[in-house]
Amino acid sequence: MIRFRQKIVITALLLGLMGTAPSVMANPAAEPVSQAVQDKPFAVARVALQISDGSGEKQQLVLNVANNLIKFYGADKVDVEVVAFGAGLRLLFKDNALGDQIQSLASEGVRFSACGNTIDAMAKKLGHPPELAPEARIVPAGIVRLVELNKAGFFVSRP
Amino acid sequence: MKNKISTLPLAVSRKIVLAGLCGGMLAAAPNAFSANWLMLQGTEKPGIAPPVKLWGFIQPTYQKDFSSAYNGKYVPPKLIGPNLDTQSSFNIMRARIGVRGAPFSLDDKINYFVLTEFGDNAMTDGGRYGSYRPVVTDASVTLNYIKGARVRLGLFKYPGAEEGLAGLAGLNYINYTDVTNQMLLERFPDAGDKNIPPQSTPDANMNAFSKPATGFRDVGVQVFDAFDVGKWEHTYAVMLGNGSGVQLSDGNASKDVYLYWSSAYLFDKKNKGPMSPSVKMFSWYQSGKRTNAYNTTQEQDRKRYGAGVTYLKKPYRVTAEYMWGKGMIYQGANNPQTMFNDYKANGGYIEGGWFIPNTKWELDLRYDRYQRNVDLPTQTRFSTWTAGVQYHFTPKTRVTLDYAARHYSSDAVAQNNQLQDVGGRLALQVTAVF
Repeated sequence: MIRFRQKIVITALLLGLMGTAPSVMANPAAEPVSQAVQDKPFAVARVALQISDGSGEKQQLVLNVANNLIKFYGADKVDVEVVAFGAGLRLLFKDNALGDQIQSLASEGVRFSACGNTIDAMAKKLGHPPELAPEARIVPAGIVRLVELNKAGFFVSRP
Repeated sequence: MKNKISTLPLAVSRKIVLAGLCGGMLAAAPNAFSANWLMLQGTEKPGIAPPVKLWGFIQPTYQKDFSSAYNGKYVPPKLIGPNLDTQSSFNIMRARIGVRGAPFSLDDKINYFVLTEFGDNAMTDGGRYGSYRPVVTDASVTLNYIKGARVRLGLFKYPGAEEGLAGLAGLNYINYTDVTNQMLLERFPDAGDKNIPPQSTPDANMNAFSKPATGFRDVGVQVFDAFDVGKWEHTYAVMLGNGSGVQLSDGNASKDVYLYWSSAYLFDKKNKGPMSPSVKMFSWYQSGKRTNAYNTTQEQDRKRYGAGVTYLKKPYRVTAEYMWGKGMIYQGANNPQTMFNDYKANGGYIEGGWFIPNTKWELDLRYDRYQRNVDLPTQTRFSTWTAGVQYHFTPKTRVTLDYAARHYSSDAVAQNNQLQDVGGRLALQVTAVF
C-alpha cells in the first residue's frame, strides 16, 4: 500500500515537472499552394507577406498590413498568407505577445506558414523545436513557399 | 521569367501599396504596456522584445519656494532639495539612461532591466556630507519559466504604494506627496551625520544624509505574476530584500518582507497601455528591521502598509491611497539622529486629472495629508493642495506646472514655530522620454 502511494506521489511529481517543461506539439503541415488557393475562390487579390526579421516593430507591421488588406477588400475578396522564416519565425512562437492578433487574422482566413528549415536550425540551438502558435502550418522551406505562391499569382511583399 | 506582380491590375497594386503604407504608420505608434507596474517594469513582451533596448528620460526642473524665515532662519521644507541651500533653483531632477530586453531571442523567458541615475536628487546627492555621484537604480533579471511564479532578482522597485511604484507615465506631479516623501522614501543616516539646527540663508546647507535614499527600491528576490480572469487582471508579489535601497550592501542580517496584491477591472482589454482605462484596487505590506546607525547593538522594527484605488477613463483620472507606518519615522533632514524611533505615522492623498477633450492640456488637483509621531507631544501634521497643469507636446514629451499650497503645524512649540510659515511652492518641469 505504501509502495502504491509512493508511486502515485512520484508520478504526480513527474507530471508536475513535465508541466513546467516545454511540451512540444508538432504543428500540421501546410496545404500545397494549389489546394490553399481554393479556400478563397472569390479573391480579387492574393498577397504573400514575408517576415524574416525578428523585431517587434516588423512583426507588428506585417500583421497590420494583413489586417489592412482584409479591411480594404473584405475577408472573402483577398487571400493573404504570411510566411515566416529566419528570425521572423518569432512571430509564430506560441507565447508571442501578438498572439491575439494572429488568432483574429486566422479567423478571417489569413494563413501563417512556418519555415521547416528554420525550425530545424532553432531546434539545434534550443535542444528542442520551438513551440509554435496553433495557427502556424509547417512548410518545408519559407523561401520556396514564397516562390510557389508567386508562381500561383500572389503579390509577394516584405513590409 | 516574367514577374507575377506585373499581372496584377494596376488598381489592385495601388491598394496593396496603400495598405502597406497604412500598416507602416500604425506600426510607428508607441508600443502599449500594461499599467500594471510590476509586469511593466519586470517583464518584456514575449516574442517581440529586442535583445537590447536603449531608453531613458530627462526632467529639467525649476522650483521657487515662497516660505518665510522664522527669526531669519530656515528649515528644509522652506528650501529646494536636494542641496537645501536656496529658495529657488534650476535642477536636473532626473536624468536616467538604461537598457532592457530579452538577451536570447529564441528563448525570451529571460529578461533584464538596467537603469542609471545621473540627475540631482536624494539618491545621487548627499548634500553637506556627501557629494553628487550617479547611482545604478535598477539591475535585475527576471526568469519567466514557471507559470504563475515569475522570479525577479537583483535591484529594482519593490512592490508597494502606487506613488512609489508607478513609472514615469504615472507621475502627474513634480513633487511627491508628504506621506510618500517622508514615510516611504527611506533615508539612511550614517553615524557621521549630525543634527543641524535651522540656518540663515543663503548658507543653509542642511541635507544631512550622506547615503542615497531608497528611491522605492531594494536588492532582493521577488516572485510575482498577473492573471487574467475575464475582464479582471489580478496581480500578486512576494519579495525578500536587504532593506537598504539602492545601496549595494546590507545593513543587517534581517530581511525585509514585501507583499502586494492588486485587482484591476479593464474597461478595454485591448488597450493595456499606461493610459489603459481601468479601475485598480491594491494593497501592500512591508516589514523589516533597521540597525541604529549611532548604536549598532540596537535594532528597530520598520512596518509600512496601505491600500488604494486608481480610476482612469478619459477624460477623467482619480487616485486615492492611504497608508500607515510604525518605526523609523522620518524626523526631517536636520534630525538624522532621531530617525531611529518607534513612532507611528499615517497619511494619504486623493487626486484627480481632467484631460481637456480635443486638446493637449490636462488639469490636475491633489490633496494630501500626513501626520507623524501620532499621539506624541511632537505630533506634526502636513497637508498640501497641489494644482497642476500639463501640456503634452507628444505622448513622450510634456511640460508640467504645479503650485503647492502647504499647511504644516506641530504640537511641539519649537517645531511649530519653524513650520507655521511654510508657504507655497511653484514648480515647472519638462519631461522628455527617449
